[in-house]
Parts: sequence; structure tokens; C-alpha cells
Amino acid sequence: MTNVAQEIAVGSQHAAEAQAATPGGDGKRRNVLFGLAVAWLVAVVGIVVLGWIFGESLPGLRDPAAINQDAINAGPSWRYPFGNASFGEDVFSQVVDGGRISLFVGFSVTAIGIGLGGAMGLFAGYYRGVIDGIVRLIINVMLSIPALLLVIFIVTIRGQSLANVILALSLLAIPALARIVRASTLQVADREFVKAAEVLGVKRASILAREVLPNVMPTLISFAFLTTGIIIVVEGTLSFLGLSVQPPTLTWGKIIAVGRAKLDVAPHVVAFPSLVIFLTVLSLNFVGDQLLKRFDIREASL
Amino acid sequence: MIAILVLIAFLGLCGWIAYAAGPKFALKRLGGALLVLVLVTFAVSTMLQFTNGDESTKQALEDLGVSRNSQPCVTALGTGASVENVNACVEDRGLDENLFVQYGKWTKQLVIDRDLGLAFYKNGEKLSDTMKQRLPRTAWLFLYSQLIALVLAVPLGIWSAYQAGRKGRGLPSWAMPAGVGLILLIGIFGGFRITTLFAIVVAAVALYSIFAGGRLADNNTNFLAFALLSIPVFVLGETFRYAFAVERNVYSLSGYQPWSSGAAEHFKSIWLPAIVLGLAATPVYLRLLRADMIQNLQQDFVSVAKAKGMSNTHILLRHVLRPSTVTLITVLGLNIAQLVNGAIVVEFIYDLDGMGSYLIAAFARREFFAVQTIVAIVAALFILTNTLIDVLYTAVDPRVKADADS
Repeated sequence: MTNVAQEIAVGSQHAAEAQAATPGGDGKRRNVLFGLAVAWLVAVVGIVVLGWIFGESLPGLRDPAAINQDAINAGPSWRYPFGNASFGEDVFSQVVDGGRISLFVGFSVTAIGIGLGGAMGLFAGYYRGVIDGIVRLIINVMLSIPALLLVIFIVTIRGQSLANVILALSLLAIPALARIVRASTLQVADREFVKAAEVLGVKRASILAREVLPNVMPTLISFAFLTTGIIIVVEGTLSFLGLSVQPPTLTWGKIIAVGRAKLDVAPHVVAFPSLVIFLTVLSLNFVGDQLLKRFDIREASL
Repeated sequence: MIAILVLIAFLGLCGWIAYAAGPKFALKRLGGALLVLVLVTFAVSTMLQFTNGDESTKQALEDLGVSRNSQPCVTALGTGASVENVNACVEDRGLDENLFVQYGKWTKQLVIDRDLGLAFYKNGEKLSDTMKQRLPRTAWLFLYSQLIALVLAVPLGIWSAYQAGRKGRGLPSWAMPAGVGLILLIGIFGGFRITTLFAIVVAAVALYSIFAGGRLADNNTNFLAFALLSIPVFVLGETFRYAFAVERNVYSLSGYQPWSSGAAEHFKSIWLPAIVLGLAATPVYLRLLRADMIQNLQQDFVSVAKAKGMSNTHILLRHVLRPSTVTLITVLGLNIAQLVNGAIVVEFIYDLDGMGSYLIAAFARREFFAVQTIVAIVAALFILTNTLIDVLYTAVDPRVKADADS
């Protein structure tokens, strides 16, 4: 499948979105929203990392598996801000604990995807020829299996462990990022300063590292945020279906999966982790989208 | 019967490509699609090798009197399987042969014998029977969800793009936050349910946007779409299940009803999952259509049409929407993958016994052979649809062919 049409569609999507599609109104309001999104991300990552390091010695954090018979399915209170689960476990502590896996998977997969996928896309887009053909074939093959299906297939075949979840999700992120970087590289390689460097006889590897890469970087960084959001969602879905890391390790998706059986008596067990996932993904998407727009040179002028 | 239909469709596709784009181009396109298809199915069939286990497992299997490579069969049949059954399965799957023979055996069985194999090795249920029973449910779910998504996304997208370049009513900027705050206050002190309150707020923002018009309307639509895009399908599904099936008794989780038991019963059993899946797809189409239409609205032919005195409606629908439809169709094709992901989750949440929940069951019971076949079928459908759309694109937009030739 030579995906010219797809590439045009994706390309015009990016161009058009960079042009006008960022929500949030005009400049000032958008800055406020951007600040809020960054603040939320910093807060979530900060609390999860602090909880990881200091554990229960932090005020408000308890053992996420501790049974509390006085507070079975109790709603949110000052002592337990997210309420209690079906054995009286503190949902807030569970969310902080589960965030480790969810965020760690999100960030590590994005790092792998950026590293390998970015390199693939960069080489394919700049050197063209055989490399480009092979990379495009890999991208097309990987992207013609629905993502969740592929991930579940790999995880069940290789066994449910953190390493395998990361491996499966990386196989998803690498071709997706390679495709975006390749498209971006093609655009940059067409610009005058690259042509000028070529005419001056600069080595191709040097052009790639010093002219092309810095200009692809902005797109790459924006998509790093968007990819992290998508990976967190896919990992959440896996946990929700009971196919991610083995119990008793908690993730955000798993808290929801356990809580959904008691939706009638304790909806807060599902609601709070859902809200945290939603706000985190929304912030990641918003920051990525904003960066894409701010880095877009076509909008700037001298 | 179905095979003949597929064959006719395929031949028609070949003829259409040759007609629309010339034989050389057609060969290139179809060859590319076929190559990807073969590679995908081969990769899927190779992945089963990972279930083989390490040396100690292989040794243990040999000690039991079965083949060294029979681990996938043992997994599929369960630990209580007899030696003859395992050996028959190994023979059937060609597990003792090399990868290429295995792949050849599997594809021959699929394509030439048209035998999909067993859905569950443990009880010998045929996959074709399972599909006959379950596929209609998923197919209806897909159809309704896409209809819902398009019905929501197309008018909203057009309206949003139209409002983006217009002057609004110039209402004060604090009006909307103040209104929303007031509703929230009334709702919280009036003891409204959270889901009701949320629905009222969304409805109020929508009404206000329609009234205000201009950039504000565009921004609000866009922000709602952006937020909807960030909600994972399982969160959306659980929220709707809570709001409509747990808190209120509007939707009953009593399982799917086919058309034969009446249209009303049928829709009653499927409307909520369809809405969830539709809402998940809506923002993708909405944002794309809006962005694409704004690009088109800035073209010269719009100014010409305007100068000729054509009405806004005519320009929007005939001159701007038409080229954008092509982009929309492309994304519809690409979104099939997303739809399959969504269906797995939605069917799991709403206990709708379609292909999605079959897949989950098959994974849980380690029925890799059936899963392998289904992954291959889904990939084939995806590739076929997208090649078709690709060619459609070529026929409509000559720039694509020029790009591909260069």
C-alpha cells in the first residue's frame, strides 16, 4: 500500500491543525490554559514521584492495599479525599501508587519511540532510496494491524509483565513516530539552507545532524507529548481489560477495572482515577498541540 | 457466496484502478498492497513462535512423547489433552516444519480451503460458526457508531469552520464562565446528580455558543471536541454505563437483540454502546473537517464564487465541503483501526457478545490460532479498504497520481 493519499491526509491535518485548530481562544486565555496544563502535569508527576520515593511517610498517603473495615465503599471525605474502595482501601493512595506504572510506561515508551522511530524517520527522510523504501514498508506493515489488537496479541503471547507491555507499546509508537519524523524531515530537506550546505560540500551526515535534526526537533518534541498521552490511554485500556502487568501491581486502569464491579455502590472508585487519566491526557494533548503551534515557523515573520 | 462477492469486488477494483489511473500505476498500487498484506500475515504467523517456550519446556514436551515444538498446541488444547490430539494438531498446523511451510499451510487453509479453523480448540467450536453468530453484532455497532459520528461531526464541523471567520454577537467575555458558575452553584445546592449537572452544563454551553456565534462558537466547539478526544474509550463507556444503566434505568444490560426480534428491541439493546463508540470517533472527524474547510475557505475560488454573488450556503456546501469530503473519507478508512480498538473495549463494558468480546475470551483462553486468523482478516480488510480509498482519491484528485509518479 503506497499511502500517498494517507500521507496527504495526515499532512493536511497537521498543517491545518497547526494553522488554526488549537482550542482555547485567543492569546491570553490560551496562555492561562497552557499554564494550567503544565501545572497539572508537574503536580501529577511530582506527587507520583514523591510517593514513590517517600512512600507512606508522606502525609495523606497510606498503604494502598491496607484494609479498613470502618470505611468500606465510603465516599470522599477530608481524611480520604478520593474515598475508599470495597475493602476500605484509600483510593487516593491507590491512584498515587498506580501512577508509577502508568506514567513510567508512558514516558519510557515515548523515549524508545523517539529514539528508534525518530532515527528511522530521519534516515529515511533524508537519505531516501532503499532505506526509505524499507522504512516505509515497516511503517505500513506495523500500522495495518489495529493498535490494541497488536498490543494484546504480543502481551498474551509473551506473558504479562512490565517489560513485555513496554515492548508491545514500543512496537506501536516506533512506526507512528517514524512516519511523522519522516514527513517532517522531507519538508526540511527541501529547504534552501539544506540545499546550500549540500552545494558547499558539507558531509551528508553532518548536514543531517546540524541542519536537519535541529529543525525536526520541534515537531518531535510536540509529538512526544501527544504520544505519551496516547500510550497512557492504551496502557490504561490494557489494564482495564486485565491484560497489563500482573496483580497486585496497581495501575490507573486496574483501579477502574476493579472498581467497575461496584459501580452502583461506589462510583467514586471509578470516577477519580478516570478523572486523573482524563486530565493528564488532556494536559499532554494540549501542551503538545500548543508547542506544535508555537514552533510552527510559517506563522512567524521577521 | 461471500468469497465470490469478494472476488467480484476485487476484480472490479482492479478494473477501476486500471481505468482511472493507468495500468502501470494500478500494478504499483495493488502490488504494494499485496506485499504489505503478505508481510503482515507472515509477521503474525511468526509471532506464534514466541509461545514455544525455552529449552526445558521443549525437553519436557519431548519426554511426554509429543513433538518438541508442540507448545502452541498444548496451550490451545489445555494440559489435559491426549497425545494423539496434540500430534494431530501439530500435524495440522505444521509446527514441526519451518516458518515458511507453516505460513504456507495456514494461508492455503484460509484462502483455498476457505476454512477458518477452530474458534476454541478446547471444545472444537468452528470459527466460522462463531463469526456467523457474533459478527452481525459488531457490524451493526460499527455502522450505527459511524452514522452517529458523521451526523454529529459533519454539521458541527461545517458550522464551526463557518463561524471561525465571522464576527460574533460581541457578548462580554465573562458571560459564559459566569453562566456556567451560576448553573454549578444552583446544581450543587439544589442537590442535582453530577451526571445531570454535567449534561446541563454541556447543553448550556452549546446553546450559548449557537447564540453567540463568531470565533467564540468556533473555540467552544473545538474545545469540546478536544476534551472528548482526550477521554479514553473505557472511561467514556464506564461513565455512560453509570449514567444510563446504573444510576438511571434507561438502558438495560440484557444483551443484544437481532433485527428479527423487532426494530425497537434491536435499537434498545444497542443504542448506548453505539453512542459511546460514535462519540469517541466524532472529534477526529470534526476537527479534521473543520481544519480542512478553513483551508479551503481561504482559497481564491471562494472569493470568486462570493464575487459572483453566490449564497454562503451554496459556497459552503458545493465549493468547500466537496473537496473536504475526500479528506474525510480517507480518515474514515484510517479510523477503522481505531474502531476495532474501540469495539473491543465497548463490547467488554456492555457485555455485547460480538467479535471484540470473543477476542478477549480467546486471549484469556490462549486460543492463539483463532486470534492469528482474526488479526490477519482484520489487517486484510484494513489494507483493502485503504487501497480502495487511495484509488478513489486518485480518481478524484489528479495531484495524488502526479505525486506518486515523481
